[in-house]
Amino acid sequence: MSSASSTLDELTQALRCLPGVGPKSAQRMAFHLLHRDRQGAERLLLSLAQALEHLRHCDQCNNFTEQAVCELCSSGNRDARLLCVLESPADMLMMEQTHAYQGLYYVLMGRLSPLDGIGPQEIGFDRLIQRACNGSTEEVILATNFTAEGEATAHALGVLLRAKGLRVSRIARGIPVGGELEYVDSGTLAQALLERRPATN
Amino acid sequence: MTSERSIVYQEEAFVLHGIPWKETSMIVEVLTAHHGRVPLVAKGVRRPRSALRGLLQPFQPLMINWFGQGELRTLRTAEWQGGIPLLQGHALFCGFYLNELLMLLLKRDDPHEALFLEYKQALKKLTHVELFEPVLRVFELALLRELGYAPSLEHEVVSGEPVDPHRTYRFDPENGAVQWNGSTGPDVVKFKGKTLLDMAKSNYDDPGTLAQGKQLMRILLSHQLGHQDLHSRRIIQELLLS
Ligand SMILES: [Zn+2]
Repeated sequence: MSSASSTLDELTQALRCLPGVGPKSAQRMAFHLLHRDRQGAERLLLSLAQALEHLRHCDQCNNFTEQAVCELCSSGNRDARLLCVLESPADMLMMEQTHAYQGLYYVLMGRLSPLDGIGPQEIGFDRLIQRACNGSTEEVILATNFTAEGEATAHALGVLLRAKGLRVSRIARGIPVGGELEYVDSGTLAQALLERRPATN
Repeated sequence: MTSERSIVYQEEAFVLHGIPWKETSMIVEVLTAHHGRVPLVAKGVRRPRSALRGLLQPFQPLMINWFGQGELRTLRTAEWQGGIPLLQGHALFCGFYLNELLMLLLKRDDPHEALFLEYKQALKKLTHVELFEPVLRVFELALLRELGYAPSLEHEVVSGEPVDPHRTYRFDPENGAVQWNGSTGPDVVKFKGKTLLDMAKSNYDDPGTLAQGKQLMRILLSHQLGHQDLHSRRIIQELLLS
């Protein structure tokens, strides 16, 4: 037999598994779902159950999908010689929005984070290496973030992939498009100076 | 309101580690010259347009202001200082290793100005040296010395005599160098006197010193760390092996 309060406690505890949700926010969410928006709660319940049952990682790109291989990977009109490596599905959406890339993707679902104990095994580097060595990939484009952890991830992957005979490149960084030097942050400007390239003639 | 005393202005700092906090904030552990390691809440820093977002990265000198009384204080401003190029490649992993050592061994609010300078020096060296190991060894020893965990490398414990470069020693993490009595066994690790003297002078030109120095620092560090694992060390090894 469970009392009302322990059922409520259980819900609050369960909500705390979400990132950035502490005890207070969890309680607020629980009250909101139970009292103000029971319909919303039903919908959440259903869609969460659906997602858990049907979503999995694409065999090719590791992004979420309902099939073994996602639509993008199986579309056939992408350039299979290019493989772009990203940290998250959100990064992939951004990349698609550029309309500048026609190749395929691999989503790491994370990055190396040595102080948090997240290393190559936790990220599953071996699966990416396998994917990149499938014979059709000619160039791997490392598009992890320009944070210390993203850079470390790109470096480690670069070493491993080059050892497999693949061509590896890193997306460029510098002054944003439309950026005026006066308003760019000093760190970006300093790095753009260090990574300068010959002027076109 | 915060009182005047709880505000710290214009302190040079390095971010050691950051973890997401609440919906849009982060807790960053910073290393400073005059306040040691301090945990700071960086409010709203995970919002897309936050000015601090790209700034609170490790290995870059910042000038920061903070306020607050409790253990967790609040970051008010941070400015990029420059002067140390971004760490690249393997040097990045060395940097993470230094940060992890500081996170595990240096207690919060325990200022060590000399250690701060050693850290800054080590980062600068990591940006351009070819051999990273000596930089790591020098910093490890400086850290243990500064925290009072490193016995003398230059004198034998029992006799008090100066260490002889030609003799062989064992090293007891609590007391220091003990003349080797000829015993052997799986837990008897021997060091040349020269190794100890070279290390005391931060001289790792001799490959023998480099190899033995790594062994000695590992013994001294694990004595302090107990069963705590160094994630960054494990990850560096995994990457080298794969
Ligand atoms: Zn896919």
